[in-house]
Amino acid sequence: MSKFIVIPSSKEQILNLLDLCDGFILGLNNFSVNLPITFSLEEIKDIIKLCKSLQKQIFISLNKNMHNADIDELTSNLVELSKLDLDGLIFYDIAIVNLNKKLNLNLKLFWHQEHLVTNYYTINYWCKNGVYGSFLSSELTKKEILDIKDNTNCPLMMNVFGFIPMFTSKRPLVKNYLSKFNLQDNSKINYLEKENNIYPITSTNVVTVYSNNILNLAQEINELSEKNIAYFVFNSFNIESSLFKSIMLLFYKLTNENQKEIFDKINMLLNYKSDTGFLYKNTVYKVKKNG
Amino acid sequence: MDKNLKRPELLAPAGDMERLKIALLYGADAVYVGGDLFSLRANAINFSKEELKEAVSFTHNLKKKIYVTVNISLHNKEAEKIIDYLKELDKLKVDAIIVSDPFIIDLAVEHTSLPVHLSTQQSTLNYEAIEFFKNQGVSRIVLARESSREDIALIKNKIDIELEYFIHGAMCASYSGRCVLSNFLTDRDSNRGGCSQICRWDFKLLDENLKNIQGDKDFTFCTKDLSMLKYIPNLINLGVDSFKIEGRMRSTYYVATIVNIYRKAIDEYLSDPSHYSYNVEYEKILRNCANRDSIPQFFDGNYGVNCQYYNGRVEVSNQDFLGVVLDYDIVSHLATIEQRNYFKKGDLVEIFGPSISSITFSISKIYDEDNNVIEIVRHPKQIVKIRIFETVHPNDMMRIKR
Repeated sequence: MSKFIVIPSSKEQILNLLDLCDGFILGLNNFSVNLPITFSLEEIKDIIKLCKSLQKQIFISLNKNMHNADIDELTSNLVELSKLDLDGLIFYDIAIVNLNKKLNLNLKLFWHQEHLVTNYYTINYWCKNGVYGSFLSSELTKKEILDIKDNTNCPLMMNVFGFIPMFTSKRPLVKNYLSKFNLQDNSKINYLEKENNIYPITSTNVVTVYSNNILNLAQEINELSEKNIAYFVFNSFNIESSLFKSIMLLFYKLTNENQKEIFDKINMLLNYKSDTGFLYKNTVYKVKKNG
Repeated sequence: MDKNLKRPELLAPAGDMERLKIALLYGADAVYVGGDLFSLRANAINFSKEELKEAVSFTHNLKKKIYVTVNISLHNKEAEKIIDYLKELDKLKVDAIIVSDPFIIDLAVEHTSLPVHLSTQQSTLNYEAIEFFKNQGVSRIVLARESSREDIALIKNKIDIELEYFIHGAMCASYSGRCVLSNFLTDRDSNRGGCSQICRWDFKLLDENLKNIQGDKDFTFCTKDLSMLKYIPNLINLGVDSFKIEGRMRSTYYVATIVNIYRKAIDEYLSDPSHYSYNVEYEKILRNCANRDSIPQFFDGNYGVNCQYYNGRVEVSNQDFLGVVLDYDIVSHLATIEQRNYFKKGDLVEIFGPSISSITFSISKIYDEDNNVIEIVRHPKQIVKIRIFETVHPNDMMRIKR
């Protein structure tokens, strides 16, 4: 049975969702990107204590691109995290694989180079090289996902609900724009608009642009669960807390109630601004013949 | 030449055979090309197996090197075909492959004798990640474009591995590999070579209440280009092993010009570092060639407000390139030129090439193919003769003098 894992937007939300999910992905201050909130190590310890008492799982996502200047602090954080009761550490930068091995930290690593986790050969390569699981790219078709599952024993995670990060940059693009044209804006989140599509854009330690629609794989969840995808990830970013809770409740009921009615309810709650991402959509990359 | 300084490799892009030859003739020490599979410039012309064979032979005859990019993010289907392709490249004796997917490193090490360079798609920024890849058999790292001067110095100090660093060209606005705008907005897969450059589109920027925040221009992601011309001495002193020029989709003129200028700057510095002086004229030529502003990106400090474009920019195609020399008659002093852009009698022009320093002159006489005197050369690929009193050579190029 696949587990429901939530990327929370606040501590309160964690408390509110304890009955509706199997665990959480948490970010660490200064070492995590593309998450709605990050926490201090002390806060993480408190959350772990609470969650473990209720048999919930905890994954830490240290998913920023690490610069040399980050390495010392990264090392001490990894050592601290290795002492905690974690179910996995999600990484982007390969420095983490190296440190985990060199320091014998035995962290259960999950490979999540966001858009690069695209085939089972490379997933198996990482499993051979000290990695425990993989968090699949969102740009895969359902067929590709099922092929991967059929060809690896590595536990898989995948996004099933929420806005999906599409772009991560070190360049302070919004700040520069405001500064260039002497504009004032203190928004916590901005949006980019193009042809009536609205893309959330955040500027924290990096700039992140998210998909315009909410990924919603409600109709696929049971089939994917039967294939033993280990973890389904629900991202609460930019979704009002009570709405997110209602959605989680509906997903939770998907296995044992009238599914059609639940799909309709979810779509209605989302105001029909959701889609199935790339599940049924092949991307192309060669648009003309040679010569 | 200062014997304490290492001569870096000048590495140029080659989108096809013509550009490969031009890049090498104009002074590149090595070129990188895409095969017809697994390359991140899926829409460049790229090289078939037969062409690769010819390219390797041409390059090796000049005692230079050729690297092949195998740097897409593999999906299941593509991964099935990769071993045979790597073995083929090995047989062709290319000098290295440039990969981003670590699975390919493993295959190359196990099944071939190909040296492996790690693509910038991995955005490698730190010595721990580099140590991992070195232990896997990677011999060179193409550093992330976000790397600074301090990053390079520290990595050089900690790990004995070749470093390749971008010195010129267009840049991704994101960390490389961390952008799928193209996938979401146009269904074209950026990490498999289909990038549709959404970062150059314009958008409305809205606040948290979805109210328009309107500057004089719309919002774009678009960054200025990279140019490290000013920092050539710094990069050589840091011990960077390979200086990479971006642009497998660029024109022959672009490749010739950029390679030519960096070749001169590198050689001039190495020949006498203590008396080297920065040549502003070179900077002007580079700027005119690309028609875009350039900056040192993250090498020397923060990425501030002047590092980006803010839309409304008119990108005029480059008209500086006037023609290419096909032949020169030493008796009549007539050079045969194939036209690339409009020019006329009286224009102040410059001819440059791999074996001459540039020659500047005003065009005095122009003859057509039937030896009639003409004043204007307006037709693409038109063959004309012009009088030049200094010797020029086939493949030299003529540009307008600014």
